[in-house]
Amino acid sequence: MSFAPRQIQLPFMKLITRFSFVSVIICVLLMSFQPAFGQDQSGNKYTISGYIKDAKSGESLFGAGVYVKELQRGTTTNTYGFYSMTFEKGEYTLVFTYIGYISDTVKISLDRNIRINREMKEISYTTETVEITAEQADKNVQSTQMGKVDVDVEMMKTLPAFMGEVDLLKSIQLLPGVQSAGEGNAGFYVRGGGPDQNLILLDEAVVYNASHLFGFFSVFNSDAIKDVSLIKGGMPAQYGGRLASVLDITMKEGNNRETHMEGGIGYVASRFTVEGPIKKDTASFIISARRTFIDLFLREPFISKDSRGYGNSYYFYDLNTKLNYRLSDKDRLYFSGYLGRDVFTFNGLDNGFKVRIPWGNATASLRWNHLFSQKMFMNTTLVLSDYKFSFEAVQQKFDFRLFSGIRDYNAKVDFSYFPNIMHHLKFGTNYTYHIFTPSNVTAQSGDTKFDLGDIVKLYSHEVAAYINDDWDVTDKFAVSYGVRFSFFDQVGPFTRYVKDAYGATTDTIEYSRGKSIADYYHAEPRLSMRLVTGKYQSVKASVTQNYQYIHLASLSSVSLPTDVWVPSSTLVKPQIGWQYAVGYFRNFKENVWETSVEVYYKDLKNQIEYKEGAQPEDDIKNNQDNNFVFGTGWSYGAEFFVKKAKGKFNGWIGYTWSKTERKFADLNKGMTFPAKYDRRHDISLVLVYNLSKKWTFGATWVYATGNSMTLPVSRAFFNGPIDLTQLNGSNPTTSGQIYYEYGDRNSYRMAAYHRLDISATLYVKKKKRFESSWNFSIYNVYSRMNPYFIYLDEKVDDSTNTLKLQAKQVSLFPIIPSVTYNFKF
Amino acid sequence: MVHSLNALNTRSFFGINHQRWFRIIVSLITVSVISSCEKDITLDLPQAEQKLVVEGYITPGQPAYVFLSRTAGVYDPLDSASLLNYSVFNATVFISDGINTDTLVQVDPSVGYLYISPGMLGQVGNTYTLTVITKEGETATAITHIDPPVALDSVWFETIPELDSLGWTWARLTDPDTLGNRYRWFAKRLGKDDDFIAPIGSPTEDKFYNGLSFDFAYNRGEVPYSDAEDDNNIEEGYFKLGDTIVVKFASITKDSYEFWRAAETQSSNNGNPFGSITPLISNINGGIGIWEGYSFTLDTLIAQ
Repeated sequence: MSFAPRQIQLPFMKLITRFSFVSVIICVLLMSFQPAFGQDQSGNKYTISGYIKDAKSGESLFGAGVYVKELQRGTTTNTYGFYSMTFEKGEYTLVFTYIGYISDTVKISLDRNIRINREMKEISYTTETVEITAEQADKNVQSTQMGKVDVDVEMMKTLPAFMGEVDLLKSIQLLPGVQSAGEGNAGFYVRGGGPDQNLILLDEAVVYNASHLFGFFSVFNSDAIKDVSLIKGGMPAQYGGRLASVLDITMKEGNNRETHMEGGIGYVASRFTVEGPIKKDTASFIISARRTFIDLFLREPFISKDSRGYGNSYYFYDLNTKLNYRLSDKDRLYFSGYLGRDVFTFNGLDNGFKVRIPWGNATASLRWNHLFSQKMFMNTTLVLSDYKFSFEAVQQKFDFRLFSGIRDYNAKVDFSYFPNIMHHLKFGTNYTYHIFTPSNVTAQSGDTKFDLGDIVKLYSHEVAAYINDDWDVTDKFAVSYGVRFSFFDQVGPFTRYVKDAYGATTDTIEYSRGKSIADYYHAEPRLSMRLVTGKYQSVKASVTQNYQYIHLASLSSVSLPTDVWVPSSTLVKPQIGWQYAVGYFRNFKENVWETSVEVYYKDLKNQIEYKEGAQPEDDIKNNQDNNFVFGTGWSYGAEFFVKKAKGKFNGWIGYTWSKTERKFADLNKGMTFPAKYDRRHDISLVLVYNLSKKWTFGATWVYATGNSMTLPVSRAFFNGPIDLTQLNGSNPTTSGQIYYEYGDRNSYRMAAYHRLDISATLYVKKKKRFESSWNFSIYNVYSRMNPYFIYLDEKVDDSTNTLKLQAKQVSLFPIIPSVTYNFKF
Repeated sequence: MVHSLNALNTRSFFGINHQRWFRIIVSLITVSVISSCEKDITLDLPQAEQKLVVEGYITPGQPAYVFLSRTAGVYDPLDSASLLNYSVFNATVFISDGINTDTLVQVDPSVGYLYISPGMLGQVGNTYTLTVITKEGETATAITHIDPPVALDSVWFETIPELDSLGWTWARLTDPDTLGNRYRWFAKRLGKDDDFIAPIGSPTEDKFYNGLSFDFAYNRGEVPYSDAEDDNNIEEGYFKLGDTIVVKFASITKDSYEFWRAAETQSSNNGNPFGSITPLISNINGGIGIWEGYSFTLDTLIAQ
């Protein structure tokens, strides 16, 4: 046993010494805006700022537009509904706009700093006469941000829902560049990135496993969600730690005017939400719960006690809660919590064999918004994020338990600074303490424990500091540029098992608590720009570099709740991603039609996979990363998007052509192979028709190139060690079996996936406060038997004593109709 | 102290692959809500290069025997007659214990396939090199050795209370204090089974029980594709009161352990949507398969 000759260093000290240049850069940047920094403006510039919220519920509106007609410039509100602009003294017309809300115009005379808080009224979706007007209708053309999509949660609710459950993760998979892995797969894939390369944030808390039941349902209960936005390229510097995308989800704050209840009963689950003021216009709450009820039918009287299914059960539930308190006009507190669990239980009737498998996420975040001045907005966040999986089996005296998970303690401070109307600066820091629990196994009988090694936990610090500026250089050219500095340190306690070429342990290295084991620090440049090339059209480009320090290792061919997160270590280097993207955006007919073409190229380094043939028990009394192999990847593609944004009849079509490949020295004989989620073609069609106040119809159609997989190409017959005296001449024995030799990795394509879903929503006439609606959905209308997986069935034909192999394709879901009833009062 | 050696593999618990649990969960849900659908398809598989398949064993007091064949297309029919099409005829096969060399003899020239060493019997502690040179010009070599047997302290049968006459075979093992023992368990019911059968989870290593003395249980394995009645009713996987059971407890090499473990995982992952591809881990240079020296002890018990 040897000890690592490393010095103990505090991670922060390290960061400060190594990143002292960060502070230098920040100072330089801030100094360049110095004239505007203080309240006392040079010349005669003044600031207008405020909050925009919903008139009915008092909820703040994120992404609402504030447009200065005379200057032909504007800004949008941040997540907390805050905006700020600074410009020359004068008379101006401000236009406040927000998707689905009635626009609002205000004349102001700017001769001092002023505060304008605005409440906006929603347009009823079912009102025939008023068109759903988007704010600053050409936002897609005007914004510097590329590859960002805001998902309209209310619209998603009118689309077909699988088994009646509105699913935000499925909805975002309808966007170009975002791919589903098919049914029964938890992950989604953005521009050739793996499912672990998506940063999923729920009120700033990382959600590590975003789905229930292997991806059939997402963990996000749509009743509790206010905003969803997805960034698939040109990631600004305030986000980091993942290579592919950011899915930023904001929970509702809770109505602070009046108490409301909302709920629904679907095919598999029911939902209930309560929201209301604690103190009118000052504090409010929301509590939302959802639970499946299949398990209620898996017991008597529905299933007889003697039947095989008896005693088996599955359910999941979600609980979302949020409280907010306005301490003053300058300070606001938010608390958000989420708890979700899937629980499967199995009771073997015949031999007392019992299994319980619970898994799920819990997150909590506490946020404090503070307005230092009209130009400086700060948000401080404390987050706890936890994901756990466990498998518990009991038989007689025997007890077996497997568990894994990840827990994060996270603190961050983010500043928004609006020095003048040309600039919007964001800067901040972020610290996370990760505790990883890789697959741990304990087995015991009575009092005796097997030696399956100590319970292993891995610890690491992740720190980041960033600065990003959105700069309107001219009225045509805008640029968003920034840099993110990131630092990662795996620390003890830790035991490194040193292996020889045959996998035998030759040495172990012990690291004591807090001792640095492997540290990495990097600067990640981010740049995106937009050039308006004419009325309703622009060209955008972006280059971003990202580092990812935590990795998801999957032994299975699909994403499972058993997949384990691991930190970067001495063996596992941080993943590096470069993304280059160019796009052309053009709107037609007064922004009724939005179109875009985006092309991207992505270069990925330090990708990880398990070794070929690795088995779960190889991780026990070993470091998981000893079983990994490392390689590179790349992806490129083109995304075409046409959207009709207004009118009774609206929707979009997206088409993506892409190619995603991987190359690992130790996989597939070192040859390039298609990634699991390589898709040549991917089409999504979404249509919504608002027929009347009563009826809205929706339809979605998806088409995707089939999943790639590895198949056997030849087979060999083995007798197995036999008793020579039993050998019948030299004929093979009865206990012999065939085994397979596999072809090139992922060289086989399953049949294409395509599916049509339709829905109709009936809004029942409102009675006093009571509103209700029925959603009728049909999933997989033409009952396409989409391949889920393929296997070789081995059957002996008794008459000829011949073994026959038949390939079988398994599909999960044929046509499934469902009905959901929703109510609100 | 009661343990299951099976359970020491995290992937299997009393012969049940834990990944398979997820399939059970999914099928349970899908069956309870709707039914999943399966259809026959034809796979357009690429032509694969044919490889030499070597399967050879040497045990104490017995000659070495080596089966030589070649890989076949996935869809090629398989019966004892067609197997001849893949048999290797008239190959030069010899083994060496480092001092002496013996040339193996083709048992039946019209069948090829099986080669036996007439002049060399296995001996504990020896290392054996195998060389195969086929008429067609392929050469394959492999090396193995025979570890000393480790006897079980005792073997017995226990019924499962809920199942009256059915149960598992149990044994007590005292694992030697040196790390690196690997075992494989076989059982045969006299008068019922033609040969020894290895249940799922049969290969194990002492990584998790080095030097321990403990009890463990195995369920009853079955012949692949078995259509026997007791492999398709409630008795499946269990021994029964009245059975006379011979347990063969083999000490195997690391190569054997890895080969059989991979082979077993490959079989159980076929048809499992969550399983990963598990290629065979061969110890044959120039071919695929296993050249395996092992020793074993036999114990007979009567289920009562």
